[in-house]
Amino acid sequence: MKRVYSILLAVLLVAAAATLLWSRYDYAYQDRDAILTPSTAQHAAGTDELGRDRMVRVAAALVIGFAGSAAAAAVTIMIAAGFGLLAAFSSKTLAAILLFVSDVFLSVPWLFLLMMARSLLPLTASPLVTAVTTFLVLAALGWPACSRAIYRGAVELRNAEWMIHAHACGLMTRQRICLQLVPHLRPLLLPQFLICVPAFVVAEANLGALGLGVGEPMPSWGAMLLELDNSALLARSHWVYLPIALLVLVLLLLESFTSEMETHA
Amino acid sequence: MLCAAAGTILLVRCAPGFFSDDREMDAKYAMAAQAEISAQSESQGSIVRIAMREVESWAKGDFGESRQYGVPVAGLVGARMSTSATLLMRGILCGWLFAIVAALPISCLRKGGSLLGLPFTILLSVPTAAMATACILADAGGPVLVLSLLIAAREFKFLRSLLEGAWRSSHLLQGRAQGLTAWALVRLHILPNAAPQLRTLATLSIVTALGALVPIEVIFNVPGVGQLAWSAVMNRDLPVLVAVSLLMASVVGLAGMLSSSEFTLEAA
Repeated sequence: MKRVYSILLAVLLVAAAATLLWSRYDYAYQDRDAILTPSTAQHAAGTDELGRDRMVRVAAALVIGFAGSAAAAAVTIMIAAGFGLLAAFSSKTLAAILLFVSDVFLSVPWLFLLMMARSLLPLTASPLVTAVTTFLVLAALGWPACSRAIYRGAVELRNAEWMIHAHACGLMTRQRICLQLVPHLRPLLLPQFLICVPAFVVAEANLGALGLGVGEPMPSWGAMLLELDNSALLARSHWVYLPIALLVLVLLLLESFTSEMETHA
Repeated sequence: MLCAAAGTILLVRCAPGFFSDDREMDAKYAMAAQAEISAQSESQGSIVRIAMREVESWAKGDFGESRQYGVPVAGLVGARMSTSATLLMRGILCGWLFAIVAALPISCLRKGGSLLGLPFTILLSVPTAAMATACILADAGGPVLVLSLLIAAREFKFLRSLLEGAWRSSHLLQGRAQGLTAWALVRLHILPNAAPQLRTLATLSIVTALGALVPIEVIFNVPGVGQLAWSAVMNRDLPVLVAVSLLMASVVGLAGMLSSSEFTLEAA
């Protein structure tokens, strides 16, 4: 099943990329003669209240959301790995301080922190800056939960007999970490990364729905959820439900893929 | 809690938009007035000054004055606490009820468990904001239902694996061989043995529910702490933000202490 989920995800991403590449319209292009239209020959999934092609915007949201979340997850895993390894290989006092810092981060609900950090951007920030900041904030605040797991894994490996042997043979800490420990931590890092990706997609969608996600006109899942508040739009076309349906499908595939990976691990 | 408060002040103060003021975008203010607004914000914006003002307001017991509403923060948060607490309590209780009622029978099935658990997997894939919007569109359910479904989806996964392990244990097999009914096994063996883990999971539900509080209260227009936090964030209302951070940190800290004391008791 793992292969089926990954193939379906890949198909969706390729289809989204192809739509963006071959479409006549840009995601920000406003067709003022076709505002709030249902499905037509020009706009397969209709247009929004500004006349922007919904299919192109959904495809862009999928690509941006997935790429941004994957990049943020990679950054968060790097931060968590650095933090966990530093705590595992430092003195007890420093380790306690580092773990205390991660506890402080964990003591405030995640979405609340995200909301706070994201909202404090200058009012004139460009859409690209808001997108980058949103995903950077996700990466910067998502690491504490992962760092705990990585710390525990690193401590177990540090105390393993073969690591003690490597130490006794004269390998320096840096060499032990880079050559011995990190390759053995990979089975722990990959599931953590996979858990982070759907969590970040959901967090971005929730932030966007609160008006704090990626700035307009750049498309995002959250901004598209806001469209559902417009009852005039809902009455005109059922295509307005396309973003939410696709978002749930993508998240379902990601969650199922992650569960399969966890089961096999 | 102090660290959470200090972190909030640091985070808000170091954010690039801290000095942004909505009035700067307003054309009715002349250039000179806008420059004055900027200078005023910058003169009052050093971390030490902000921290001192916050500590002073804590000493007074009012947690300062809200920037957007112009009233003491303690009164503002206090008035909304009961609404959020009721919502949280109802949501967590109903969520756990859904999760236990579904996980108990599904966990003892040998086949088809994954298929029956599919609704919870789907629920897990729906962002809170989308679930809340769907409820409004369908004109069915409300904030308690959305919170319950979210908690149920999260806890079902853990409960199912916990109960599956319990059903397979050798002492339960012995009990079944001796003719104990399923209900007796659950009541006398499974629940008492799983109680410490269940209590820890329950405290984690509080953290999950607190995270979901903001979108739920904003979308359903519930006058609770989550909506206040959102409004404070949108208006850069630092005193309210610090007070809400403290409240959240103390609730999460208390939940953490409860779960760790359970383990300590068990270990003892």
